[in-house]
Formats: sequence, C-alpha cells, structure tokens
Amino acid sequence: METRLSRRDLLRLLSAAGLGAAFSRHAVADEVGIAPVAATVPENKLIPTPDGPRYPAQWIGGKVIQPERPLTVVNETDVLVVGGGPAGFAAVVASARAGAKTTLVERYGYFGGQWTGGLVLLVISSHARENGQLVKVLRGIGDELLERLTRIDGAVVNQAPGKFNPTSDPEATKFMMDEMIREAGVKVFLHCWVADVVMDGPVIRGVVFESKAGRQAILAKIVVDATGDGDVFAAAGAEHERRLHAIGLVHRVGNADRADRTRLAEAGVKSLGSVEPLSSVKWVNLRGPSTDCLDVGELTRLEMEHRRAIWNRVQQLRKKPGGEELFLLQTAPQLGVRMSRLLTGTHQLTYAEAREGKKFADTIAVGGAQNGQHRGWPIPYGVMLPKKLDNLLAAGRCVCVDEKLIEDSRLIASCLTTGHAAGAAAALAIQTGCRPREVEIARLQKLLLSQGAYLG
Amino acid sequence: MILASPTKPYHGARRRWRAALRWFVLVSAVALAWPLRSDSVTSVLLPALSPFVGICSALATRAVGVISLFALPVIALAAVFPRWFCHYACPAGLLQELLERFHPAVAPVSSRVPPVGKWLVAVALGGACIGNPLFLWLDPLALFNGFLTSWRGPLVAMNLVAGLGLPLLLLFNVFFPRVWCQRLCPLGASQELLAWPRQRLRRAAGGSNAVTRELQGPLVARRMFLGGCAGVAGVLALNLARGGTPSPLRPPGALGETQFTGVCLRCGNCAQACPARIIHPDFGASGVAGFLSPVLRFDSDYCHEDCYRCGQVCPSGALERLPLERKSLHLIGMATVNLDTCLLVNGRECTACIRACPYAALSVQSADGGFLNEPVVDRAKCNGCGACEAVCPVRPERSIRVSPHGSQ
Repeated sequence: METRLSRRDLLRLLSAAGLGAAFSRHAVADEVGIAPVAATVPENKLIPTPDGPRYPAQWIGGKVIQPERPLTVVNETDVLVVGGGPAGFAAVVASARAGAKTTLVERYGYFGGQWTGGLVLLVISSHARENGQLVKVLRGIGDELLERLTRIDGAVVNQAPGKFNPTSDPEATKFMMDEMIREAGVKVFLHCWVADVVMDGPVIRGVVFESKAGRQAILAKIVVDATGDGDVFAAAGAEHERRLHAIGLVHRVGNADRADRTRLAEAGVKSLGSVEPLSSVKWVNLRGPSTDCLDVGELTRLEMEHRRAIWNRVQQLRKKPGGEELFLLQTAPQLGVRMSRLLTGTHQLTYAEAREGKKFADTIAVGGAQNGQHRGWPIPYGVMLPKKLDNLLAAGRCVCVDEKLIEDSRLIASCLTTGHAAGAAAALAIQTGCRPREVEIARLQKLLLSQGAYLG
Repeated sequence: MILASPTKPYHGARRRWRAALRWFVLVSAVALAWPLRSDSVTSVLLPALSPFVGICSALATRAVGVISLFALPVIALAAVFPRWFCHYACPAGLLQELLERFHPAVAPVSSRVPPVGKWLVAVALGGACIGNPLFLWLDPLALFNGFLTSWRGPLVAMNLVAGLGLPLLLLFNVFFPRVWCQRLCPLGASQELLAWPRQRLRRAAGGSNAVTRELQGPLVARRMFLGGCAGVAGVLALNLARGGTPSPLRPPGALGETQFTGVCLRCGNCAQACPARIIHPDFGASGVAGFLSPVLRFDSDYCHEDCYRCGQVCPSGALERLPLERKSLHLIGMATVNLDTCLLVNGRECTACIRACPYAALSVQSADGGFLNEPVVDRAKCNGCGACEAVCPVRPERSIRVSPHGSQ
C-alpha cells in the first residue's frame, strides 16, 4: 500500500512540476493500473488469483513435482497460430481475411521474429529468374506489407520493379504488421510463451502457454506451428528431426553517414555493413558458431559472448581515422537462430527438386533465388503436413525440407509464403469442415491466388 | 597414278558390287551416328576406322587404346589393296561423287595440284612424334561424322562447328572436283603410304622401268623426313607461342594441352554426348593450335558427377576413356573464390556453392568470432567440376570460378 501511495504521489508531483503535459495520459492510466486487483494474498499452497487458485510445484521425495491442475481457457478459436514471425504474421492475416476466427500467440512484444527482432531486415529470395526474366515470387500478404512500407519514407529499399531482395526498417515493419493484423481482426496474445499442447489422441485441440498471468490454455480447431523451432509439433509428438546451425547476433551501427569512408578504407575498413532504408544506419551480420538453440546454456553463453564481440568491434571502429562518430546503435533483441527442428512432413522437398524447379500438383508457394539469378522452386503442401497428427500445420523455417534446402527455406521470403499458405489452408479447412490434410488443393490454390499469392 | 581412271574404273558386276558396298557403308555410317538416337556411343566408330587417325593418335598419345584397334583391319587391307577404303568404303567420297553428277562440266584439275595429302600425313606424323599431330581434324571420316552428330541435340555452337566441315568439303568439291580425294585427303594419302612397300616390290619385280618417280624409295623417305621435320618444327613453334599460358578448361580425361589440341578431331562427339551442354568450341582461349577445340563453360551447368560420356565417344583418344570413378578424380581445374565480391564474405548468408559441390570440397571458414566468413576450397577434394561456378549468384563475373591448372 505504501508503494502505491508513493508512486501516485510521485506522479502528482511530476504533473505539478509541469512535466505533466507529456505524462498526463499515462498518469491516468497508471492510476488505474496500480489499483489493487486482489485483497491481501494469504500464505497458502493453493494461492488464489483472480483466475482461480495457483498450484506451485512441490518438493516431494527429493523431486520437483508439478501438481495436476485444471487450466483456465482464455480463448477459443478456429485457427490458432503460434509465433508471430514472418510465417505467423502471414498466416493470421490470410486466415482472418478468409473468414476464420483467428488467434495469434507471440512470445515477444512485437511481430516479425527474426525479421524485426533478429534485425535480419533483408528479405532475400523475393525474386527468381525464369527464362532470363526477373520474376517476383514473394507475392500476396508479405509483398503487400512491403508495398505498404514503400509509402512510408525511409521504411524500405529495393522494393520496386527491377529491384529484388528488399531491406526494411525494423520499426516500420513492426508497425505495419501491427496495422495489418489489427485490420484483419486477429485476436492477439503478446508476451505469451507457448509451453505445451492440448492433445486429444492424435488430434491437437489447443495450446498451453505461460505469461505473467501464469499457465493458461487456448483451444483451437486448427493450430499452425509458426514458432520456427517447431515447439508445437515437437510437444504434440509429431515426427521431426533436429539440426544444428550457426547462431549469431546482428547489430546496427549508427552515424554511418558521418563516417569518413575514404579514410576508413585506407585504415582497412572496406564496409561498415549492409544497406538500410536510413542512410545513417548500417546493419552488420555475425554468423556465429554452429550449435543447439534448444540448449538454453548455449543461448546464454552466445548472447553474452556475441555482445562483447560486437561491443569490441564497434569500439575498434571508433578508434580508426574517419570512424570516430560511429556508435553501436543496437544489438538485436533476439539471437540469430537459423534452424533447429524440422517437421517430417508428408513430402520432403529436396534441394535437387528445388534446383530442378520440379512442379507439384499441390504447389502452394514458390521459393525464390537468393540473388535473383536462378529459377524459382515450387513448394508443395505436403511440407507443412505432419505424417500422422491432425489439425496441425507447420509453416516457416521448420517445414519439411532436406539439409541443403534449409538455406533457402529458412529465409524470410519463404517463411512469408509458406505462412500465407498455411493460414489459407487452415481457414479453408474450417470453412469446409475437413481436416487440413483433406483440404481440396484446387480450392486452396484458388483461395491463395485470390489473396495475391504466386504459384508459378 | 593409282586412281588411274576416275570416271568409270569398274565395269559390269564388279561395278555393281562396288556401288552396293559403298552405299552399304554410307547407310551404316549414317545409322551408327544417327542423330535421332539418344545413345551416341556408336558414333565413335567411323572416325576410329581411319588409319590416319589411328596411327597419328596412337603415336601422339604413346598408347594403343581399344578404339585405335578399329583402324587395324583398314591398315592391313590398305597395305595390300592400295586405297581400297577410298574405292569401296569412304562415305565422304561417295557423297562427293554424287554431287559431281550435277556439275559434270567442270574439268578436273587434280593433276596440276601437288600431293598435299602426303605432305599433310608426313607433317602430322612428325608432329605426332612430339605429341601433336596437327592435322587430324582434316580426316574426312571425322568431318562426315561431325556433320551427322551435329544434328543431335539442340543447336549449340559446338554442333555448328562440327557440322560445317562436311558441307565445306562438298562445296570445295563443286569448284575443284576430285582435288580433295586425289591430292589433299590425308586419309587417302596415308593409305598410299601404307601400300607403298608392296607396290614398290611388285613394280620392282615387274622391271625397274615401271617404278614411277612417285614410288622411288629415296624420294618417299626424303618427303617423309622433311614433312616430319616441318611437323616437329610447327609443334615446337606452337608450343613456344603458347608459352606459359594456362591451358583452358578441357573435358575430363583430356590429354595434356599440347597433345589434346592436335589429337582432337573437332568431331563434336563430346559436346553432343554431354548432357549438361557445357562443352563449347574454343575461339581463341587456347590459341591457334586449339582453334575450335572443346572447352568447358560453367555458365548454367557443370560436369556431372555421374556422367563420363564425353570420354566414351571420343574417336581419337584426345579424351581418355575413363571409368566413372577415375573420371571423378581427373582434375579439370580448381575452384577459386573472389573474396571481394563473394556474398558470404560480405555478410550475406549465401552458401550456394557450398551446397552445390558434389564432392563436399567447399566449407565455410569463420574467423574473428564469426564476423568473417568465407568459402574455402579443399584442394584435395575439388576436381574443378564447376558446380560451384554454375550456381554462384554473383554477376557479371561470378565470385567462384574454376581456374585452369597452373593459373592459381
């Protein structure tokens, strides 16, 4: 109670001191926010909360035991998409626009995943080359997002006819994803980490997630795993494989436009980093060592080692003649995880099939060429369907491809297009009352084309 | 003059037999190299029959391969029956005679032309002694075969080059009837030389008056010696002109550059057999000596790890008939990376070349805590197949290219 009073007093003081003009709206909100939500919390094993009693883990016989407990279902929906990266974003927009009641759960406080939070920024493989002509394969919802960014000054570069592999500003991208998700009417849960699934035999019925509110559940008719790491299908027991890949950390350097590039070049610095929409900022990739992103010890170690390496690198740049005004603007909020789990789908798309440009009857997307120099590669629906489990689809970097194709399938453009397809397929399954694996391919392709997707 | 009566040397049944045999050979030759069949292995047979090709390539390569054995019966018969191949078999000769029917008015000029063919054979033999037979590509069977195989597959430059030889020869015959067959053709001339010992003996037995100047031992020996010396000098001059220039990229199993440019017939068989269409005629990279010889370009495809067809269809042994496992070990060249333009080096996560390499000869090497990454070539594994170059997305000049031997 004392805390509450003192904070309220502080806000009053601030307002009185003239700073209130800027803070007044927040002050009102905070006043509401710090109101007590429950009476004194009693000391008890079953801790009551507004949502019901809490069941802490118990120390029993030298083991930590999680007691059996009912979970509160906070949402029931048609299509639940887990993960708000490029795949999840495209999936929810496609699903909601196709008329399905759609929910999105995201562990961070923003959308975009590696694109925005990992500061990857560069949408590689947006185009392919067919018979010598540059063809845009990233169409539909992902392309719509980039097109809308072109109307904002300084939000995207290389998104124009004849250009390929656009780079977008992370904040502009987050903002535009917010707008499109809001417009589509998607129910969103941010800051919620999916921890488990709700299974009914071989059929998924929903997910369990952790948040500040504790452990809660969402029920859904169809779940799309857009976690990138296959957290949902792994928890559901779907067949999958594990892969190690390099884990790095991207950073951005500020004041790039104020650096003396000639003197820096003389000092041996050829490049400050890759282009961004804002000329004052460059982004710098760090590939990092190949390791297991499911090992939290490794993530902790790399996060701190990479940050130190980045700090030292930028400090060295600042000591070089011409680089004095450079500074470390930001390290990425998310580690650059590239690959972990891969679904074992009903079709494994191989590198050989992709390079051959093999066509499929159930093509739902087309992947691009990394530098717009090779033909596109049709992606079949089977890469996102688990072998046995029902009402579950995978989208994004964890779809079923072979080892060599990972390098293409994990890219943002591919994630946007497979996400789009998964969302559309889920909505169509709801609409026609069938399981995702029974979706009529012709109708799915028609729906995707009506939503602007490219199928070759 | 051996071909004494060029117009109608035979009569009656013998003439009909001869005509039937010649047509049979022509039809067989066309059938063996028939362009509409996918299998091109039989197209190797016709040029391999030529004693000129067989002897010179065996001499130049210091090896008698399976293919050179095809020439043996022709050689043996030629020693007994002078120019029998010209009379009874040569499909190029038959085609020329057929064409002559449309131009009977032009007077033969062959007697005024020196025996260039014999000189060509002498020079070729001399060159072959030091590895380069120089004029093997003038063999009419190679020209005939090249024309047929040029219709196989799509219209690529190598096909055009290989296919032009026979039409040019026939066109030449229209303006200078029979000059080729009687005075220029190295295949004909080599048969005459093979027949020389027996003829010399027969004429000598029949009285010294019958020994024409053409058959006199010292003259033939002098001609062969001078021609041979010219061949040696020519090859040395070509080698000198080439200097230390690295050889261009040749199909797998290719002989050493000097030998290859001479032994290669420019028949186009290898380019036709190649499923990847990476074999192209050279217009300068290998100098005058290598003009129109096959070189590799990895613009859109590479030398496949499961293919060894080019070596199987080479009629002259310019490409060794390597089995698949040895063909994979044959070094075409060596991949080299341009670190200035490589996308991986520049922070873009391109691994196109690394993934494409069928021999796992490429890997990412990281330094500076992961900030610096570059593809490195394992020189023990790379055989220069070009898979990396074919997929490199950097333009206009690709960041990873196969460099010829001795140029890295």
